[in-house]
Amino acid sequence: MKQFIKQSLLFAVVVVIAYPILIVLSMWLPIPQVFKPSINYKIGSYGHMYSRLQEARNIQGDVDILFLGSSHSYRGFDPRNFEPLKTFNLGSSAQTPLQTKILLDRYLDLINPKMVVYEVYPNTLGSDGVESSLDLIANDRNDWNSVKMAFEINNIKTYNTLIYGFAADLLNINKGFEEPVRHDEDTYISGGYVQRDMSYHTFEKLGKRKWKFRDEQLAKFNECLQMLKERDIETVLVFAPIAPNVYNAYTNYDTVDSLYNSYGLKYYDFNRMLDLNDSLHFYDGHHLNQDGVNIFNAKVREVLGI
Amino acid sequence: MLFNSIDFAIFLPIVFILYWFVTNRSLKLQNLLLMVASYFFYACWDWRFLFLLMFSTVLDYFTGLQMQDAPNMKKKRFWFWLSVVINLGFLGVFKYYNFFAESFAELLGHFGLEVHPYTLSIVLPVGISFYTFHGLSYVIDIYKDRIRAERNFIDYALFVSFFPLLVAGPIERATHLLPQIKKPRTFDYSRAVDGMRQILWGLFKKVVIADNCATFANDIFSNSADHSGSTLVLGALFFTFQIYGDFSGYSDIALGTARLFGIELLRNFAFPYFSRDIAEFWRRWHISLSSWFRDYLYIPLGGSKGGTWMRVRNTFIIFIVSGFWHGANWTFIVWGALNAIYFLPLLLTNRNRNNMEIVAQGRLFPSLKEVWMMASTFALTVLAWIFFRAENLGHAVSYIGGIINSSLFTIPDYAALIPACVVLCLIAFFMVIEWLGREEQFALAKLGAGWKRPVRWSFYVLLVFIMGLFLKSEETPFIYFQF
Repeated sequence: MKQFIKQSLLFAVVVVIAYPILIVLSMWLPIPQVFKPSINYKIGSYGHMYSRLQEARNIQGDVDILFLGSSHSYRGFDPRNFEPLKTFNLGSSAQTPLQTKILLDRYLDLINPKMVVYEVYPNTLGSDGVESSLDLIANDRNDWNSVKMAFEINNIKTYNTLIYGFAADLLNINKGFEEPVRHDEDTYISGGYVQRDMSYHTFEKLGKRKWKFRDEQLAKFNECLQMLKERDIETVLVFAPIAPNVYNAYTNYDTVDSLYNSYGLKYYDFNRMLDLNDSLHFYDGHHLNQDGVNIFNAKVREVLGI
Repeated sequence: MLFNSIDFAIFLPIVFILYWFVTNRSLKLQNLLLMVASYFFYACWDWRFLFLLMFSTVLDYFTGLQMQDAPNMKKKRFWFWLSVVINLGFLGVFKYYNFFAESFAELLGHFGLEVHPYTLSIVLPVGISFYTFHGLSYVIDIYKDRIRAERNFIDYALFVSFFPLLVAGPIERATHLLPQIKKPRTFDYSRAVDGMRQILWGLFKKVVIADNCATFANDIFSNSADHSGSTLVLGALFFTFQIYGDFSGYSDIALGTARLFGIELLRNFAFPYFSRDIAEFWRRWHISLSSWFRDYLYIPLGGSKGGTWMRVRNTFIIFIVSGFWHGANWTFIVWGALNAIYFLPLLLTNRNRNNMEIVAQGRLFPSLKEVWMMASTFALTVLAWIFFRAENLGHAVSYIGGIINSSLFTIPDYAALIPACVVLCLIAFFMVIEWLGREEQFALAKLGAGWKRPVRWSFYVLLVFIMGLFLKSEETPFIYFQF
């Protein structure tokens, strides 16, 4: 029996040591991505997260408004539209509260904002958070919070990518990496914003559906708000515009409203406050084009009185 | 709690340690621990169905004792039929009620009578087909005086609910498992290591082969009308390996887990895709169910005694009942009947017991004749699986119709062809390992036995690594849980 337990533990140790080595090797060797579907480490990927975090680390002086949230945030709040206020956008692709909390832990004191505008696309509260975790792992330095996040998400893709992320940090693999200001049709604008070249959305009919929420995301969302409250930072919840055909496909806005209103903060659903057009003001079903961003931002300033 | 979940990875070592370190001085305590662990394991799905499991256990335990102590045959028969009727009654209500109600309404509809049947909105209790068959074999064996009724309730309850086999088999026999439960068990190092190897191979089959094949099989079957014949063949192939990887993977994990507790379960799979005819396939596929039907249905019906007509009739009955056992859908019935049709020529020409030994025994490569026989048998099973997988008979027929046209000879028009080819590579790797290990109980049993430990362990680590690379994000239940 002792021999069996000893051998089993020894084998477990061998696996624990060999597995990360094999993960790193699989990334270094020219193995096509299709052979490693459960690892997805892409530094400087879609959404300019790397540039945004680099800028966040080097922020000089306090910020007036910090924007948080998903791509609706970093593609929706243009810092140029809020001048002379100093703003910064810490949004990331499909960012769920699990990632928001990590970003706040890492950057809130550094940015020290007077106000936080938290873009609360309901889908992020129902998401597993995998996509956003991969973005964060590849584009920021990893620490204990990353491990906690991986356990909370409990997904093999996040685990594998984090293993490689630690190796990349440890071996300084990304040293000297510079993300280009332009990626395909996207341009990074200082302050964390990503501007898409002007284009227009093609309307598509969608079936009816409902927003769904996950308990773990709601708990983390609460933690984020609590953290801001403890620091006495004024926080506003904003549902940024999505294309009306997408917005109207969902039927349970009473649930969404009652959820966001339950936190005792100001909550604004700009989908109901603006009369935007599916094609003219959006480049896809979820993101405003620059015309839409300008209209939205003007309305935000008006509503918030800033 | 799935075998391929973190929960099980925590549950199993805890039970293992308690079993060998805390309760090891008393067989009674060991059995009690296993029974409690099994009930906990089952309650993790839905605690409400625990009562059904308990009821079924108490019923068979009690009727078994009554039969044993019955003063005359009349009383014995009464208790026997009571148990059979109630057991099958539960199975009928939970599994087949809606099917019969809807089929009956449809039949009346053909005669112009419009009926709106009352259907039950109920969830099928996981494992009901398996533990009902455990119980039935027990009462039938007592009725036939093959065994004596078990007086120790804990031992009997453990026989029915032992967690490795509770939800998807193998379907055990009291004659095989109960004596093991009653006998003190000692830890055997090589048996436990063998168990671990079998668990590893079972997980590989499930996580790498079955779950990855499922992605493509589900996609192609769901949109079968949009695909070319060659793509549909690809979809059928993926399902063929999905169901094998899924079910035999589950069985490997079950057998390996039981070995860790010093218990040997009945073998359920013996490399069925290397069969040279359909009769051999059925001696190698879901062995515990096939042998159950053979012993408790085919032989009581007269078996192969009697004339040709009786043999044909009995063969059709067990194949159709076996299909129906899988679920309340005509697709399963046709799948069973199709296999009976495949079987018929072998039966009529007395060649159904031709291939009893392992293919290419003692050789690395099969002969050309053996390759041809294996390929043709495999093709027949792939065709039959289309019925098993299809949503309904119409879907199966249109799927097969979609295959039989000129697009069969084109390159598959499948959008995800490259990832699909990667999974085909994994299947090829898997089948090579299976081929190399086909003379053993499971593929990894002796593979690498002569290798030095670092090499052997490197191979196991490679398997773990491949699992890590191809593990699906979401936990996927085993197909046979629905049966």
